[in-house]
Formats: sequence, C-alpha cells, structure tokens
Amino acid sequence: MNVLPVARLDLKRLFVRPFAWALGAIALGLLAWLFLLDLNAFLAAQPKLAAAPEANLGYTDLVAAPHLLTFVQLSLLLAPLITMHAIAGERRAHTLPLLFAAGLSPARIVLEKFLASLVFLWLLLILAALIPLSLAHATSPDWGQFCAALLGSALCVAALSAIGIACSAFVSHPALAAMAALLIALVLGILDAGSRMTGAHAGWLDYLALSTHITPFMHGLVRSVDVIYFLLLIVLPLSFAARRLAAEKVRG
Amino acid sequence: MVRDVTFNVARGEVLGLLGVNGAGKSTTLAMIAGVLAPDAGAVKLNGLILHEHLATARTCIGYLPENVPLWPELTVREYLDACGRLHRMDRAARKRAIDRELLRLDLSGMANRLSGQLSLGQKRRLGLAQALLHDPELLVLDEPGNGLDPVQTAQLRELIQGLSDTRATIISTHVLSEVEAMCDRVVILHEGRVRFDAQLAADRGALDRAFLAIARDKTEIAA
Repeated sequence: MNVLPVARLDLKRLFVRPFAWALGAIALGLLAWLFLLDLNAFLAAQPKLAAAPEANLGYTDLVAAPHLLTFVQLSLLLAPLITMHAIAGERRAHTLPLLFAAGLSPARIVLEKFLASLVFLWLLLILAALIPLSLAHATSPDWGQFCAALLGSALCVAALSAIGIACSAFVSHPALAAMAALLIALVLGILDAGSRMTGAHAGWLDYLALSTHITPFMHGLVRSVDVIYFLLLIVLPLSFAARRLAAEKVRG
Repeated sequence: MVRDVTFNVARGEVLGLLGVNGAGKSTTLAMIAGVLAPDAGAVKLNGLILHEHLATARTCIGYLPENVPLWPELTVREYLDACGRLHRMDRAARKRAIDRELLRLDLSGMANRLSGQLSLGQKRRLGLAQALLHDPELLVLDEPGNGLDPVQTAQLRELIQGLSDTRATIISTHVLSEVEAMCDRVVILHEGRVRFDAQLAADRGALDRAFLAIARDKTEIAA
C-alpha cells in the first residue's frame, strides 16, 4: 500500500527525531502537573460547591474542560514547532524537487504534510484527554460537554497546524516559520483581550479571536459559526501554502 | 532564463549538457524532470507531453538534482524506501530495487547508516541510487561530479557509462573533460540558448572551439 507517501514520510521523520519525543514528553508532563493542581483546587473547593448546588459546576467544568483548554494554549507553541520543518525544512534539504519529480501536486504535498502534523498533534491531544478521563470511573463526567471540548480542541489544533504549514511554505528557515506561526497564533489568541478586559464588544475583532470560538466548545456548545471559523482557519492557510508551492514550481 | 532550447536524446545515448555557470543547465534539467513547469514549449517523452502526462512520465524519469536531496535523519535504506514509496512502488518491488541499487552503487555496507552522516561521494551515490530505484528510461543528472575527488569521479564515470546501455542519460556539467569522458553527444547552452549540438565523435575540435568562444565571450563581458 502506497497511500499518502508524503504523510507517512513526514511521520517517520518526526518519530525518528528526538525533538518530537522530547516535545511530547514535556507537554504531557506539564499537562499532568497542571491537572494535579486543578484537581487539588477542585477537591479543596468541594465544600463551597456543595453549598452552592445551583451553580451546577462539576468535574468536567472545573477540571476536564480547562485541562483541554490548557492543551490548546500549549498548542500555540507546539503546532509551530511541529510544523516548522514541513516545507521550509524540505527546501533547506533540497528535497522539494524529489517530491515534484515524483509527480505530486503542490496541493497534495501541503495536504499530506498537514495530515502528518495533525496525526502527531491529535495523538498528543488524545493522550492529554486520557489524563482527566483516568478519573472518569470515580466521578460523573458530563460526556456531552467533554466530547464538545475535545472536538473544539481538535479543530483549534488543526487550525494552528494549518497556520504553521502555511508559514513553513512562505518562509525559508524553519525557525523563522515557527516564529511567524507563533506570532500569528498569539495575535489570534489576544485579539479580543481588550474587549474581555473592558467587557465591551469589539465586533469583527472579537469574531477573529480564537477564544471567542473555543470557549463555547469548552462549555459544551457546538455552534456552526465556531465550526465554520475553524474550518476557514484550516482551509485558507493550506490553500495559501499550496499556491506558494505551486508558484515555486513555476518560478523555480 | 531558458529560450528556444530544442534537443533530443535517444535510448542508449549519453547527452552532455555543457555550459558555464548560469547558462540554464539546471533549469533545463528541472523542466525535463517535471520539477519546473515551462512557460512555453514542451518536454516530450516517448511522444507524450511531459506536463500533460506527469503521472505516466514520472515513472520513466530518474532525477538527481545538483544538491543531493536527502532526509538526513533517515538511514540509507529508509531513505531509499521513502523514495520508492514516492514512486508508488509496492513493498516487494521496493525491497528488490533497494537491494539492487545498494549493491550496484556499493552502498550495501552502509544501508543502516544515517544518510546525513555519509561523505559527499557516498551522498552522490545515494542520490544516484534514488534516481535509479524505479529503473527509469531517462536518467537526468545535474552536475553529478560536483565535489567528488578524482577517484570518485572516475568511479562515477564508469558507473554512468555502465548505466547508459538501456536508457537515455542527460548529464549537465561545466567541466569539458567530464563531457569528453562520459558523453556521446554534447549540447552547449549559453545564456539560456543552444549554441552547439553535435556528436562528440564527429568533431572534437569544434566542441573545443565552441566552448572556448563562449568562455571568451563571458570573460569579455566580465571585463
């Protein structure tokens, strides 16, 4: 079977490098530590929660969903680091001609590279999700809310990965690609900071912000507007990356 | 920039694409290999226009760019396996082809070494192995002798001559002696145009004169 040769190649290259393993281990270690802190705070807050049953806050609201949100925040850094080599690295290793000479279209190369980074990041997401799920037998999680939070996290990570791939296509050095992707992700992350602090709505700035669209997922709401936002954030960077690569094929 | 470049190469023939730096050799070869798309004109392979039949053509072309394309974190065998996958070879065919090329290019002893740790000569041989892996009808080699010591150059020449019996080979170089040692026919490119196209056996003096004229031309422009 020779399906997705570029994606398989990228995954292989990712897994033979200690960098990806170290990154994954550090991220999961940090998440586990933060989970324990959240859990500790949750246990300490039990008397207060018992006194205010109308708040209806449980393990999923206070531990599991915030844990996934922390993973999303970590992905602002993880996704650029994982995707920085995707195309900029090929360019530096002079291997792009090899892919073009094999008859692969720029769009296909970009798509397969996106899939490879997604497999790695979603694998990390699943491992991260297993941490709060390890206490599922002892608590009563809101499965609907947890699945919505997981879906939102998966979409957000995919969008960050697509941005990373696009930056890698436009920039010649992997480190520059990572910095550019991190910068874009941070800007998207803090766009609505002003309106959040003042409580005023900032119109389209709010719409563009990541937090506007990830927060409803964390509360268990799957809204089409948020899904469309993330899908746009996946499709647009990938199409820009494919166009950049196609132009490179024409110009050399 | 390449303009009005027309030449053909037949099976069993080794064609040398000669020219000074910046003559358009690499661009021409990249277009022949399907890596670059020409603005105008066409590359024909067995009568098929290459850029309209890329899927078919890619199985017929083996390409070694000027800078050897390597994924340094993969071992020699893993690298060739990945190249075989890119050429849609099935597992059994890949294994056969990898063993064949490792043997042919004297890389068997380093099959499990990281490709990034090979010497320049070994990297060139590995690049040639990936170009030959799918047994192409047309072999396109861009400056294959660059950076090799005299012994490695001699080995490479012998190897290329051995490979040319069953396929067409195009080699680019800016070294006249390389062309004379390896090629049956020479095309000289200068400023993106063909300046000379002849069988090497026919008139060696004409080749020398043409190349010297171009070199003189370039020196005068520089002066």
